[in-house]
Amino acid sequence: MTELGTPSFKKTVVELLYQLADDDFILACRGSEWLGLAPHIEEDVAFSSISQDTMGHAAMFYGLLEQLGEGNMDELSHAREGSQRKNAVLCEIPNGTGHYLKEPRYDWAFTVVRQFYYSIAKKIKLESLKQSAYEPLAHAAVKINMELHYHILHWTVWFKQLILSGGEAKQRMLEAIIRVEQEFGDVCSLGPLSAEMANLKLIDKEDVLLERFHNSVKPVFHTLSIPYKGSFGYRSGRGRFGEHTQELQHALTTLTEVYRTDPAAAW
Amino acid sequence: MINLESLEDKNIRFMERIEAGEKIEADDWMPDEYRNVLIKLISMHGISEIMGALPEKEWVPKAPTLKRKLGIMAKVQDEMGHGQLLLRVTEDLIKPLGRTREDIMEDLFTGRLKFHNVFHMEAPTWGDAGLIGWLIDGAAIITQTNMLNASYGPYARALKRICAEEVFHAQHGEAIILALAEGTDDQKKMVQEAVDRWWEPLLMFFGPGDAKATGSSKQDVTAKYRIRSKSNEELRQDFFTKYVPRILSIGLTIPDSTMLYDQKQDKWVYQQPDWEKFKEIVKNKGPKSQERLRLRELSYENNEWVREALAQSEEAI
Amino acid sequence: MNSKTAGFFQEYEVFSKRTATSPMQYQFSLLAPNEEMALVLAQENFMRREPVADIWVMKRSSIKKMTPEERLSLLRIDNKDYRNTKGYGYLQKKWRQYEQEMLDEKEIFSWGGKLKK
Repeated sequence: MTELGTPSFKKTVVELLYQLADDDFILACRGSEWLGLAPHIEEDVAFSSISQDTMGHAAMFYGLLEQLGEGNMDELSHAREGSQRKNAVLCEIPNGTGHYLKEPRYDWAFTVVRQFYYSIAKKIKLESLKQSAYEPLAHAAVKINMELHYHILHWTVWFKQLILSGGEAKQRMLEAIIRVEQEFGDVCSLGPLSAEMANLKLIDKEDVLLERFHNSVKPVFHTLSIPYKGSFGYRSGRGRFGEHTQELQHALTTLTEVYRTDPAAAW
Repeated sequence: MINLESLEDKNIRFMERIEAGEKIEADDWMPDEYRNVLIKLISMHGISEIMGALPEKEWVPKAPTLKRKLGIMAKVQDEMGHGQLLLRVTEDLIKPLGRTREDIMEDLFTGRLKFHNVFHMEAPTWGDAGLIGWLIDGAAIITQTNMLNASYGPYARALKRICAEEVFHAQHGEAIILALAEGTDDQKKMVQEAVDRWWEPLLMFFGPGDAKATGSSKQDVTAKYRIRSKSNEELRQDFFTKYVPRILSIGLTIPDSTMLYDQKQDKWVYQQPDWEKFKEIVKNKGPKSQERLRLRELSYENNEWVREALAQSEEAI
Repeated sequence: MNSKTAGFFQEYEVFSKRTATSPMQYQFSLLAPNEEMALVLAQENFMRREPVADIWVMKRSSIKKMTPEERLSLLRIDNKDYRNTKGYGYLQKKWRQYEQEMLDEKEIFSWGGKLKK
């Protein structure tokens, strides 16, 4: 077991780990709902690898929580209520209208923009976490960061090409950018213990991370000749503070359907 | 190059190549019958992988643990990947006919292109998700390994990749099934019910024993061209030999009280499935046929703008 | 064929290297709208379970392939031992007369390391 210092240190680490784990978990689940429904078979296969990587990252973060005595990782990912979840609301928003098994009308533009923004924000957090005062997290960040290169490459290609192709596609992408930015404040937020996280040197300050995000994304917009607003909101709630949409509850009901039949059983 | 060979000479030379064990490649001359039987076989195989992703996909979000969620995601991804490999092989065969992947999809939606009977069936529990991996993939391994030496090189190469991944699928299925079979009473019941549900579709999976059962069979042509070596019935018997003892060993029963291994005849005796029902199912009249076709068709239409947008991108970007 | 989307489905051939020192190897083909997209799709479609150090994609139409007739030009008689070490195997016996080892492939390839004195 690693040195945890004071109880407030532990509490802050745990808070941060829940944000990281819950973000990746729910976004990977949203990604996996696209299986078999992507615009192109080859893309279906590639996208699934990204969702698997992301779920794998969630498992690593839940694993760190497990080591801190929070419970086992399946319990942490499956048994916690919606109100206990710390993921950003953007990650839980459905891929489009309809259900994954019934009349799914998924929005590829929204998915590309969400994944593109999310991957970059995640990379920036990981770069900072590599220096985290909580060593097990710093080690995990080094590993996870490795897989982010491909995610960013993949989503940047889609992001750029759909915008550059103009016409309807560009229009859809611009609309998706507005939708994602309206929620993106939540992704950039570190929640109620944000100040402690920075003081304890677990991760850089929110505004420092945000500045790095703008610096990464602005040049991409520039090459695409589209305006970068860079003002982010919390339209559907502040997930870091436990505010979530009904959609998270629906998703959790599905995600835990089998688990809940017998949480004690070996599956 | 001037080619004065008559069609008959070409056919003779082609059969000589086949019988010498040579591999035929996409650009080689081939008789129409050979091309057509390959198109029919491989397009059906490919589209079955794509449609086969759907019943298991239902269980991807619902898988009960993180590890199972990851495993089944990887498995369904492979199904799509196998579809990709096989469609590429088909696309090269239909290219000289001026046809493309879009025509294959069109044929699926209009019902001209059929997919395997098993993927028309319901998968109502987590037990079904495990059973598909264990026994449906087991059955698929039996039929696919039988064609690893197929005379058509591109198909043989795709199958080699596919079979390597099927080993993972079979073990993924076994892991789920063993956990359930060793689990609580409810879990045990779940697997047994899945076996009961899938037994008849599994028997059907290998196809009719001879043309009498359903009125048509391409078995003879595929044998002549050395695409496959064993008959439908031989494959079904192989499946019994490999899987019946395993099913019984973990305390499950087979829903066919007449089933036994006949030492004298050296074969399994079993209750024939209802081949009339089989014919209906593969005409897209199975319990889930329309719903799954609708999913594919909807996603295809819904994302058309993406393909349209990038269709010109080769020059533009 | 849908004329509006047909251009999306371009044929690309995929090659990859397993490690930095291995040769490029042919993998498979895929459909993609352009080479940039082909490249990001290649890795996870064909090499998701194995190490990969580099990937090339190439438009199929840029490849000149042999026709079956041209492939006949690959046939040759098995009488070219003089090109291979096989034709010089007798040297081993000869060198033994002088109490020397033969410098065969295994020996020569070992010279990159520290030589035994």
